[in-house]
Amino acid sequence: MENSIIDEKIINDLLPQKFGKAGKIWIALLTVICLVGLFAYYRQLRYGLVVTAMRDYVSWGIYISNFVFFVAISLVGSLITAIFRLAGVKWGSPLTRIAEIIAVAAIIFASLIIIVDMGSPERFYYLFTHGRIQSPIIWDVIVITTYFFISLLLLYYPLLPDIKILLRFKEKSGNGLHKFYGYLGSFWKGTPAQFKLSEKAINILCITIIPVAFTIHTVTSWLFATTYRPGWDSTNFGAYFIAGAFLVGAGAVVVAMYVFRKAYHLEKYITENHFEKMGRVVVLLSLLYLYFNMNEFLTPFFKMKKSEEGYLTGLFSGDFAPVFWFAILIGMIIPIIILLFKSGRKPLPVFIVGIMVIIGAWFKRYLIVTPTLLHPFLPMHDAPASYLHYFPSWEEWAITIGSLAGALLIITLLARIFPVIPIQETLTEQHEKAV
Amino acid sequence: MKRLYKYFIALLAFAGILESYSAFAQPAPKGDLSVAINYYVNNNTVPSLLVRVKTKVDGRFQPVAGITLKLFLDKDSAGTSIGSVTTNRKGEGRIYIPVTVKKQWATSVKHTFLATFKGDKKYEEAKADLTVSRAKILLNTTDKTITATVLEMKDTTWVPVKGVELKIAVKRLTGDLPVNETPAFTTDSTGNVSADFKRDSIPGGKSGSIVLIAKIEDNDQYGNISVEKTVSWGAKFIPVNTFNKRTLFATRDKAPIWLQLIAYSILIAVWGILIFLVFNLFKIKKIGSRLE
Repeated sequence: MENSIIDEKIINDLLPQKFGKAGKIWIALLTVICLVGLFAYYRQLRYGLVVTAMRDYVSWGIYISNFVFFVAISLVGSLITAIFRLAGVKWGSPLTRIAEIIAVAAIIFASLIIIVDMGSPERFYYLFTHGRIQSPIIWDVIVITTYFFISLLLLYYPLLPDIKILLRFKEKSGNGLHKFYGYLGSFWKGTPAQFKLSEKAINILCITIIPVAFTIHTVTSWLFATTYRPGWDSTNFGAYFIAGAFLVGAGAVVVAMYVFRKAYHLEKYITENHFEKMGRVVVLLSLLYLYFNMNEFLTPFFKMKKSEEGYLTGLFSGDFAPVFWFAILIGMIIPIIILLFKSGRKPLPVFIVGIMVIIGAWFKRYLIVTPTLLHPFLPMHDAPASYLHYFPSWEEWAITIGSLAGALLIITLLARIFPVIPIQETLTEQHEKAV
Repeated sequence: MKRLYKYFIALLAFAGILESYSAFAQPAPKGDLSVAINYYVNNNTVPSLLVRVKTKVDGRFQPVAGITLKLFLDKDSAGTSIGSVTTNRKGEGRIYIPVTVKKQWATSVKHTFLATFKGDKKYEEAKADLTVSRAKILLNTTDKTITATVLEMKDTTWVPVKGVELKIAVKRLTGDLPVNETPAFTTDSTGNVSADFKRDSIPGGKSGSIVLIAKIEDNDQYGNISVEKTVSWGAKFIPVNTFNKRTLFATRDKAPIWLQLIAYSILIAVWGILIFLVFNLFKIKKIGSRLE
């Protein structure tokens, strides 16, 4: 009797909730930003890529920086869900749904932003009909599609038991959502045979997603590293990208944890202990990423090859120095300093660190793409002086910010439709504790 | 006001002293130029002159650019003018002997070249001369043996010259490679030198063509004379045409087999698992339907 009261309390706490006033404002704001982005994209389709500031030197601008950022953030699904699960990290289970939602939203926008970067969207179709398997770009297209599909499955399978619970609350969810839940998982009866099959599938997914996640970001790094250019010509790039991706993904999770905890009053389920532990994960990943950064920049700095001098001095003390040092400080060093202290691993400081890590990571991606393109080994002849500088046009900013808002919109909508903390898993844990 | 007036007078006086100091200052001394003339004949065609101009800066010779020199054949007169050259940033200027001095050229087997610089704001006037005898090299090749003959014009005939040092080499992109281990040869009484070609493996073009060169360098009497001959003694370069072959940079239907094997087996393995997991969903659905 007492157990069922507790169960009902947990279910009630974790059921998706309708948007309040703040939620509605948030959705409206994101929608407006997305619409501005769509208008900018319309202009790009109407007038061509000439509306961007990308020219012969910088042919990959903030679109590609943003793409790398999205791919990086999507890796969090494999870290929190798969690696934690396979490593037997029990405390991470309330965070798995959040991680998977972020991963799905990020990978959707990674694919979309690539299509935006192509200029004409029909080129995406040509990639499949005329793509060469020798090209890292095709590897990226294949692996992103695969990762998107795996992430969807990893979101869907653990949702099935929760959908059964959601179907019990028709009056709370409303007719439309109830129908949708029925379509998604009315067949789930919670029999031992179904649980067995589902558990097996989740385990297979967790094992499969890790190499695919490593591949997706390694291949993304190879888009750069297989090109002979200052800053990209590095054997360190795959590991450097993976380390950075895990860091920004973990940063995104702590931010989402804090926001959902506050918005849905989930203090009992996402506890201070979760922030303490995620804080430790973030500091470890920050140190790891800092180590790879040192590998990436210290040795070229020590050698200072003539051909790379312009690029390196541009980063360390030239035009890009403010952004470079900002990204290093905000994205790694300050988070490490804050999180090393116990009081720094409280919810609010961890949330602030998460935001810092995300902002630092976005600018870091910008620095990976643009300065290298401005410093080719062989300068172009007769290129107009304006090509030697790059600052994105308003259309590029609008599309980029619109895509970020779009990803947040998907996360918000998914959190409205599905429970952000797995209900069935929480109930099972509760029962295990009671026993 | 009175004090201000005093300061003004004092300032004027000081300015006057400074002005008088600069007015009495000696102009900076002009630099001395060192001019050298070099004589070149390549493949027994039109001879040319290379003029080098240097000056001493901090005890070391440095090339001087922008110096214009007038050049004459045998004597400084309008009829024997070769022309004028202006030195480049290496301090060098080259000029070919023009057809206008052909008459003067034919009068003698020995000629003197004169170079004059009339001086400018920075440098004193300068002069140089060089006397050379007309000579030529003949180059013959038989069965990977090279014979070079040095001949000098005496009166109206070419006669062999003994004791002239010359090099026999293969022309390469960054310098000349001696044809064997002997760096230089000296002509015998018949004016000949012989050298065996020992660079069989040297890469030539598609037909194995290499260019042999015999040259006299910085000779006091003859200047710089060289002659070239193309022979097919080099290793033939057989280009490997990768067009239409399976390479990483070929078209999509020419992808390397190993790459296709690796890529498609990974793809089949991963997507095989995913398809299995989708079927797994149908299995779960079937179990649920049975219970309904």
